[in-house]
Amino acid sequence: MKKNCFLLVGMLALLPVSLRAAEDWVRYNAVPNSSKVKVDGTSTLHDWSVGSTALGGYVEFDPAFDLAKPALGKVNAHCDVRIFVRQLKSDKTDMDNVMYDSMKEKDHRRIDYRLSEMVLKEAPKSPEAPFLFDTKGELIVAGVTNKVQMPVTMVRVGADKLKFTGSTSVKMTSFGIAPPTKLGVFSTGDDVKLTFEWLTARKEQK
Amino acid sequence: MNKNETAELNRRDFLKGSSFATLMTMLGGVELITRAPVQAADLATLVPFQVKCAVIGLGSWGREIIATLSRLKTAQLTAVCDTYPASLKRAANSAPNAKGLDDYRKIFDDKEVQAVVIATPTHQHREIVIAALQAGKHVYCEAPLANNIEDAKAIALAAKAARKQVFQAGLQTRSDPQRRFLLDFIRAGASGKAVKAHAQWHKKQSWRMASPNPARERELNWRLSKETSPGLVGELGIHQIDAMSWFLNGRPVSVTGFGSIMQWKDGRDVPDTVEAFFEYPGGAHLTYECTLANSFDADFEMLYGTDAAIMMRGSKAWMFKEVDSPLLGWEVYARKDQFYKETGIALIANATKLTNLTEKATDETAYTTKPLYFALESFLTNANTVSSAVEDFSATFDVNDKAALEKYISEIKLQPAAGYQEGFEATVLAIKANEAVVHGQKVALPKEWFELG
Repeated sequence: MKKNCFLLVGMLALLPVSLRAAEDWVRYNAVPNSSKVKVDGTSTLHDWSVGSTALGGYVEFDPAFDLAKPALGKVNAHCDVRIFVRQLKSDKTDMDNVMYDSMKEKDHRRIDYRLSEMVLKEAPKSPEAPFLFDTKGELIVAGVTNKVQMPVTMVRVGADKLKFTGSTSVKMTSFGIAPPTKLGVFSTGDDVKLTFEWLTARKEQK
Repeated sequence: MNKNETAELNRRDFLKGSSFATLMTMLGGVELITRAPVQAADLATLVPFQVKCAVIGLGSWGREIIATLSRLKTAQLTAVCDTYPASLKRAANSAPNAKGLDDYRKIFDDKEVQAVVIATPTHQHREIVIAALQAGKHVYCEAPLANNIEDAKAIALAAKAARKQVFQAGLQTRSDPQRRFLLDFIRAGASGKAVKAHAQWHKKQSWRMASPNPARERELNWRLSKETSPGLVGELGIHQIDAMSWFLNGRPVSVTGFGSIMQWKDGRDVPDTVEAFFEYPGGAHLTYECTLANSFDADFEMLYGTDAAIMMRGSKAWMFKEVDSPLLGWEVYARKDQFYKETGIALIANATKLTNLTEKATDETAYTTKPLYFALESFLTNANTVSSAVEDFSATFDVNDKAALEKYISEIKLQPAAGYQEGFEATVLAIKANEAVVHGQKVALPKEWFELG
């Protein structure tokens, strides 16, 4: 008990420092109508695809991460990305409704991604060139969390924007989603590919 | 039933059908057909969302709307409204779970109600539609939007300004898969160059509603007075004229009309028999006829092209080819129905499967294949789509960024339906056509009249 009290006091003492540190971090917020996310899947009849532009969230970097002279290796960054399931659409409304139902949309309205690790593998050789990262994070779909790893590319857009692109493949069943099978004459496959292009803009300093 | 029975038209089938299409089958013709969409088992049982809605105006058409909504799993009818107690009571029987209200403002005060269908007399639309939009409701307004251009413009402008809401004009055929299939077919050039069109609505009926007292009589029979009614061409013709303008891919440049009271000399001042001639850019004409004095040949639309004529009757259509028209290929296998001395190739969307070539022609149309069903289905789906977009976008991005939200909504693909612009244009056209009929003159239709600004 005594040991726990010391730990708590120690954590509280560090809290103002970490809060101040977070305030100094450089934050970029998602820009509306400027991103794209796409989910591609297969079926016994034909491939299918759903997409959206409503990819929200933010990314923020430790002030020590200098975009002009980035150091290779681990980057201190926070990133939360989210999208509401029903904003994913194909050109077939009925099929979209089956997808929302399969993804238990009424109980789990959002798909979330939380970054846990970001490592700069390759720094840009010019201002227009991309940063190449290896990332680890958690993807939460239909209330189930899975760890995902993917390479992510970041490029600077103008003076205050960053665009991230990447893709990863997942299995629907790993999120407890049974691939819809009773679609009349065809059924869908378990593997899906997520591809994104996410534009963020630097939050104005107050 | 044995195979011989399916291949023959027997007396029982004839009596069961006892319809125009059955008669036409006996005479011969070829029907145009699209493949019915795959109805998955999951889709049949899935209730993807429900829109809480209300119906205002409970005359015969209002009751038809209630009956159709009751068949749509995406509709949750929560209120019905009419100022006349008997109408309210009658509608309440078919909507037992809906609140019966005598004041539409009570519906607009109810935050739970997301969408309203307005089926009141045409001249009452303006006040109710604008109040509904101001209350944040999605609005389905029956066509015509109004009985005068000023009101129609006010409604359309209010709908245009309500960026976060759906406004749908009750031009049902714009949502009908059969008509959309035909549109693609015609635009692809299957009937050649369109040279003229014809539409008619014939039914022997007075158009007068029975009423218990003089005050109610005037209220109920608003269609029979010039003061409140846009006439036959405005109330009935608007749907057919709009459809033909859609198929002809243009807006008329003039309309000439004629009208008389030939049969129902009961004090009304609205003609019971009318004709209107619409002139389209390029020289094609649409002749429109409507009478309450004779039922022969009922209602249909014809489009005459250099390669084929296309006849539309409700949710069915047939193509009559010229002998020198190019062979499309598929028509060799298509079902054909005989129409007097002509052979029609059947053109049916969603009513018959392409493979079911032996199916007999009939106009025993199911509720779920009527244009009103598709129009209301589109309305509810679009209302849900737009509401979801507003809610999710506001929870994702800066709620104060109205321009970004409006851009997001504008880029959403919605189900096919007539919006405020189509509703306004069709209403202007119907009102001007009625003006031509009433005065027996030609009325020019400059494009400025169709612009909202």
